[in-house]
Amino acid sequence: MSTYILRRLLLMIPTLFGITLVVFVVMAASPGGISAQTLIEGQGLEPEARKALEDYYNRLYGLDDPAPLQFLRWLNNVSPVGFEFDAEGGVAGFGLKGSDLGTSFRYGRPVTDLLAERIPITLLLNALTVPLIYVIAIAVGVRAATQRGKSFDVGSSVTLLTLWSIPTMLAGVLMIGFFASDQHWHWFPTAGLNRRAALDMPFLPHWESLGDVLLLFVLAVLGTTAFLLAAVRLPARYRALLMLVVGVAAGIGMAQAHTESPWALYLLLPLLLGATAAAVGYMQYAGMRVVAMGSVGLLIGIALAIRLGSGGFVPGFLLDRLWHLVLPVVCLAYGSFAFLAKLTRTAVLENLLADYARTARAKGVPESQVLWRHVFRNSLLPLITVFASLLPGLLAGSVIVEQIFSIDGMGKLAVEAVKTRDRELVLSITLISGLLTLLGYLIADLLYAVADPRVSYD
Amino acid sequence: MTDVAHMRSRSFSARIAREVLGAWGARIGLGWILLLAAVAVFAPFLASSHPLLLSEAGQIRSPVLAHLTTGDVMMLAAFFGVVLLWRVRTPLYRKGLILLGLVLLAGLAAGAWLKPPQIVIYEQYREAQRAGAYDWVLNTPIPYSPKDYLRDVGQSGLQGPLASDRHRHFMGTEENGADVLSRMIHASRIALGIGFVATGIAMVLGVIIGGLMGYFSGIADIIGMRLVEIFEAIPQLFLLLTFVAFFGRSLYIMMVIIGLTAWPGYARYVRAEYLKLRRQDYVQAAVASGIPLTSVLFRHILPNGVAPILVAASFGVASAIIAEAVLSFLGLGLVDDPSWGQMLSQAVKSSTFNWWMALFPGGAIFLTVLSYNLIGESMRDAIDPYLRKSGG
Repeated sequence: MSTYILRRLLLMIPTLFGITLVVFVVMAASPGGISAQTLIEGQGLEPEARKALEDYYNRLYGLDDPAPLQFLRWLNNVSPVGFEFDAEGGVAGFGLKGSDLGTSFRYGRPVTDLLAERIPITLLLNALTVPLIYVIAIAVGVRAATQRGKSFDVGSSVTLLTLWSIPTMLAGVLMIGFFASDQHWHWFPTAGLNRRAALDMPFLPHWESLGDVLLLFVLAVLGTTAFLLAAVRLPARYRALLMLVVGVAAGIGMAQAHTESPWALYLLLPLLLGATAAAVGYMQYAGMRVVAMGSVGLLIGIALAIRLGSGGFVPGFLLDRLWHLVLPVVCLAYGSFAFLAKLTRTAVLENLLADYARTARAKGVPESQVLWRHVFRNSLLPLITVFASLLPGLLAGSVIVEQIFSIDGMGKLAVEAVKTRDRELVLSITLISGLLTLLGYLIADLLYAVADPRVSYD
Repeated sequence: MTDVAHMRSRSFSARIAREVLGAWGARIGLGWILLLAAVAVFAPFLASSHPLLLSEAGQIRSPVLAHLTTGDVMMLAAFFGVVLLWRVRTPLYRKGLILLGLVLLAGLAAGAWLKPPQIVIYEQYREAQRAGAYDWVLNTPIPYSPKDYLRDVGQSGLQGPLASDRHRHFMGTEENGADVLSRMIHASRIALGIGFVATGIAMVLGVIIGGLMGYFSGIADIIGMRLVEIFEAIPQLFLLLTFVAFFGRSLYIMMVIIGLTAWPGYARYVRAEYLKLRRQDYVQAAVASGIPLTSVLFRHILPNGVAPILVAASFGVASAIIAEAVLSFLGLGLVDDPSWGQMLSQAVKSSTFNWWMALFPGGAIFLTVLSYNLIGESMRDAIDPYLRKSGG
């Protein structure tokens, strides 16, 4: 196993070399290329100042050298093994040395520092998104496959295809416009990852009086239990009625919360929310219904507690951060979720129709065991394959999401770097994202061996 | 041999076509795209500040026709060429050649004879009409050009849909006062064009590289796959950003670049098909009878392995359209011409949120992408023998 991992890690080196070479060639071959002139263009400097600045950049970054030399120098700086130079530029030795990503042209700071600030933010976004989409996608996809051709399958197929086709920009712009701007519902923050005030708050939320905490706890538990019971016990018709009432009430409340509340909203929102909620209540799929109705109950409990409590609530750093992350994560998640759920459906369907599943059924294995012990295990392979390609996809998605929600992550840095022709930054981001992608492939290949005993790397 | 392969591929493709056209999803998708194509071709007659016809002192003239550009004429020629050739019974590639010749001829003729005025004054017609210079005027359905900022009207800036009675804007106006619907109609050309051309480039590259990889396998395959891996390991969006930021913003560069970054996926598909097909008897027979290599590769193997590539292409058009929209959205798109993504980014840049500037262009992107995805889905269902075999 370790030999295999080592070999794969070594094989990454030529690929990474190729990736950076492609990007460097693109930069160097472009009209204007990377030169000191393009760096100081548009600053409106006096000719002498211009000349001085050009010389300064040339001396600092070696921009007047031929392109291949520039690339080799960059490569030497980046690789942990390479030549060392003395002060006059002569070769002082060859061997192990520190890896240095260089200094950003625009920011004037070491690229390593910039990346160390930005990467955790993008990783946080993705770390929240990936488990979320996997759980929901598997729940929906497996159900759709077992219900092939029935209403849940048809409905979910249409919904998933629609979700998949919505451009992230549109979703992000509409979400931020309707739910974050103060023209409509000012529920979520418009930008950034936390409020200024939240930096001085304690990490966890806390309340002024202990009574409020108790109230919140009691009401939340009561609400959740009531709705869970309703979801499990009530017949479909009454469930739908209950959810219809809740949905209509929520719609009216939402219309009232709008800054202008035009009359059309009072008509549209209760109808829309009521119909959705009733459909959720009516749904035959017990697992999803229970989760959905339980969380509705929880939300109602929390809302009541906030209404009845005496105030004096400090959200704390954690809640504030989560609050800022809701819209970006939703925006990042829905597209990949749709893709993954469709994939799950196809994979499970293929295995459900396979001969071994029929054999298992024929010898009397209950259907739930056939599904989860036999079929699901075999359907995992394509899901794992996709994990590798999902990671770069999410990284690309965070470019858009970070741009819309003004989050200072790696995606936003990438756009800035490319726009300002920041050679060191562009190459480093290419290197890092390429590395992350290749690691994703490697992890996927290793997970294969875990999921499928037939796969072995020894 | 050639004949049999040809016939089989035709009957297979005919069956697939029938099945795809029978699916309601594909019908909706195709309907939307045909509508969009018609809108794109007739854009100057649908939304233009130049009247279709007007009578000035007894003289009838058509300012729209006078302002047609070479591009407009070529699009019209392509459209009518397709309509005329639809029923003609000739092989597909010959139809394509005829069409290409027709379009080029139209372009040359238009370039020689058409002299659209260099300086366009949009306000002149409204002013003349107000002054009573015309006997009667027949306007286009949306009487605003995409870059007509309505300076003479004096109402500069944003307006919601149908906000003013005097100048009706069905989808409102953008910040500078131009009509959103008109901009969207003209931008549909970019969306359609970029989808087709970029995917075409990616497909040609993918078929050539993937075909050589699959057919020769061995060392060519190993080198090719490394190349594919390298291109796939760079996040596509990032490569696109780099390309566009460094090479400038022109529609054609963008088409080429989106095509250049999308080929590895096709190469993978084609390689897999060729690996499968190269050991088939009919390919062996073709090789043995001394047919040139290009003929073996592209006339014998390709028609039999084209179905999965077409599915990928349908999804590819959708992602090319999204790629253009993303680039425009990130501020790296076209500078002066409106595109849907650029209009969407305008919605964010203004200080207030104006839903019509986000919803309409974004909705158009969504519908177009959804259409291509629907077509791709039904094609995939049609060519998937497994699901059919066990269906029902």
